[in-house]
Amino acid sequence: MLVLTRQVNESIVIGDDIEITIVAIAGDKVRLGISAPARVAVHRKEIAQAIKAENLKAAGADSQHVGDLSKLMGKKQPGEGGKPGQPA
Amino acid sequence: MNTTLETRQIKTARFGAIEVDESRIFHFSEGLLGFGHLHDYARLPGPDCTPLEWLQSCEDPELAFLIMNPLLFKDDYRVPVTPEELDLLGLPGPEAGEVRVILVVPQNPALMTANLQGPLVFNPATRRARQLVLAGPEFVTRFRVFAD
Repeated sequence: MLVLTRQVNESIVIGDDIEITIVAIAGDKVRLGISAPARVAVHRKEIAQAIKAENLKAAGADSQHVGDLSKLMGKKQPGEGGKPGQPA
Repeated sequence: MNTTLETRQIKTARFGAIEVDESRIFHFSEGLLGFGHLHDYARLPGPDCTPLEWLQSCEDPELAFLIMNPLLFKDDYRVPVTPEELDLLGLPGPEAGEVRVILVVPQNPALMTANLQGPLVFNPATRRARQLVLAGPEFVTRFRVFAD
């Protein structure tokens, strides 16, 4: 890994069209400004990893479970009961 | 000769080889997270009598996701779509897109969860689609679809 030392308001450029600027440093937190073309996906790593993990889990939908689900949905409407669903 | 019937034959593990209307096939230029090498998916009707749909990969017969309109179980769910995302999708405004979320169906289907943090946005007009990555406490990856 390339390691560079930068100060506040200094930047690094990656290729022609990506620029990362150190906006502020406070304690152990660093604020970064990222300027990149729209086609380049920029995400917090832990969020992208969480979504990726859910995608991988969803991809393995078991036919038996899906069959049980459609039976269940025949009886029960999603979100029914006047009470919203809760995060698991 | 051009064919006027715009359909594509795709091979699937669940449904065998099927002929799919091109209007049901969407291109994800970035793919889905974890599946960046796959770009074309068909939206197919889910099991009978359910509001579910299958998102079937046109390239990998084994890969299909169950998806659903999140407003059916969480009517206050709103997806912030940036102007850049709208542009990439070719959407004139957020209301022109269709939002679906990916479901995870466990052994006990009553515990099914929906990923509200990585919703899918489809533009039926351009047949482009993207998986968004949302930040914020309300956007959980495992939202229980059925209330207890």
